[in-house]
Amino acid sequence: MIKAEDKVRNPWYYALQQLDEVAELINLEPWIHKKLRHPRRELTVSIPVRMDSGEIEVFTGYRVQHCITPGPAKGGIRYDPDVTLDEIRALAMWMTWKCAVVGLPYGGAKGGVVCDPTKLSQDELERLTRRYTSEILIMIGPERDVPAPDINTNSQVMAWIMDTYSVDRGYSVPGVVTGKPVVLGGSLGREGATGKGVVFTLLNTLKYLDQSIEGKRVVIQGFGKVGSVVAHLLYKEGAKIIAISEIDGGIYNPEGLDPEKVMTHKKEAGSVVGYKDAEFITNEELFRLECDILIPAATENQITEENASEIRANLVVEAANGPTTPSADKILKERGIFVVPDILANAGGVTVSYFEWVQGMQGYFWSEREVNLKLRDIMTRAFHRVLEVSLKEKVDMRTAALMVAVSRIAEATRLRGLYP
Amino acid sequence: MLKKIECIIQPFKLEEVKEALKKIAVEGMTVTEVKGCGRQKGYKEEYPPDAPIRLLPKVKIEIVTEEEKVEKMIETIQSLARTNQIGAGKIFVIPVEDVIRIRTKERGRIAID
Repeated sequence: MIKAEDKVRNPWYYALQQLDEVAELINLEPWIHKKLRHPRRELTVSIPVRMDSGEIEVFTGYRVQHCITPGPAKGGIRYDPDVTLDEIRALAMWMTWKCAVVGLPYGGAKGGVVCDPTKLSQDELERLTRRYTSEILIMIGPERDVPAPDINTNSQVMAWIMDTYSVDRGYSVPGVVTGKPVVLGGSLGREGATGKGVVFTLLNTLKYLDQSIEGKRVVIQGFGKVGSVVAHLLYKEGAKIIAISEIDGGIYNPEGLDPEKVMTHKKEAGSVVGYKDAEFITNEELFRLECDILIPAATENQITEENASEIRANLVVEAANGPTTPSADKILKERGIFVVPDILANAGGVTVSYFEWVQGMQGYFWSEREVNLKLRDIMTRAFHRVLEVSLKEKVDMRTAALMVAVSRIAEATRLRGLYP
Repeated sequence: MLKKIECIIQPFKLEEVKEALKKIAVEGMTVTEVKGCGRQKGYKEEYPPDAPIRLLPKVKIEIVTEEEKVEKMIETIQSLARTNQIGAGKIFVIPVEDVIRIRTKERGRIAID
């Protein structure tokens, strides 16, 4: 049970609340509802790591599988000081919905280690990753649960996980993770796939709203693996990127920023802050900027009841996971702001992860163009399916996406029945 | 993988597009004068639902190329064939199973080099 005082900004509480609302809308059978309210498996592990100083630190890690009904569980691993079990649970549930909304044959999982990777050396990071992998080894595998990169983890971390798992088995098992380097069986087009998916979804949304991307003023929170790709692609499509922010603040230029130049600056300075052709703004100011499209591409709980009433965009596309709190979501809905929900908008990453897994299983690899075209296809189909439900049931896109996703998982659960 | 780029453009754009394609090392192309229509059924203004389709003169360019060059060609054609009006045309990308150069009997990629 979640205590009342913990409900504030607890993503697991939000995730359950969302599920409860959707369950009512689709008349979900109580037994399936109850089953989906409980993660299928949770593992908390202690990770002792020998630090470069010779001392031993013990870190805490989690792996949660929310659902394994449609197939193996799928979900990223994040390294972050703020990781909690409830956060990982919520993210695992959202992974179930995300895979279901785009129609991938996966359940949902998530993992995390409570640590500050900026304070770890590369060697410490490797030892941490290998020990964490070995601790969760009983849960993962190409047919069981397939991790992927998330906040502060990348293709190198995936390579270490793949190696640790493979050494344990005695043969190479590339299918145990996705987001691997290409030489180890990674897919072309995996890097940047989430961002590409966000852009496909955004263009589909604009087409439906009968608008063009050209000249649209775009504000992006986050300039990492997702935000930077979105910025580049939208700039190329003719949009005007007027503001970008990161954890330490942001930059604003009403005449538009050139993402490539901002990236060059970031590589030198370590942050977008200080970019010369723009003025400094805080993250809070960013959300209040006059613009057409707002893209939160950072972390959870960024659009809250404190700033939701001051957002001046007509369209919010959630590139991050869970960036809008439920109460903020209600405010946006009342204000008539069109919100493209996370589980739809950012499903491009897991979709190309799925392609990587498929290619790995086949042992036959596709060209980058082929990957991108198939991604566009899946994202477009998912968008139209959600839009159709949204129009038919007269609900917002988030509710529609959850209805599509929960219905699919419910159908799979119903068909499999309950053992014994 | 070989692909065919088949684009339908406004006839007055042909000269510019064909020269630009030469600059990005397009070896060969086939150009046909064609007639066609799009969503507007050949009308620039509002038209009654029972109006007959008007087929307007267009030019079709066909190029067979390697997959890696497709995006560059699309970019080139798109930037030059744009008229900022309806009816500027379309670009289709089609998979090509094989190519045979009749004179030398060469097949596949080397047959278009």
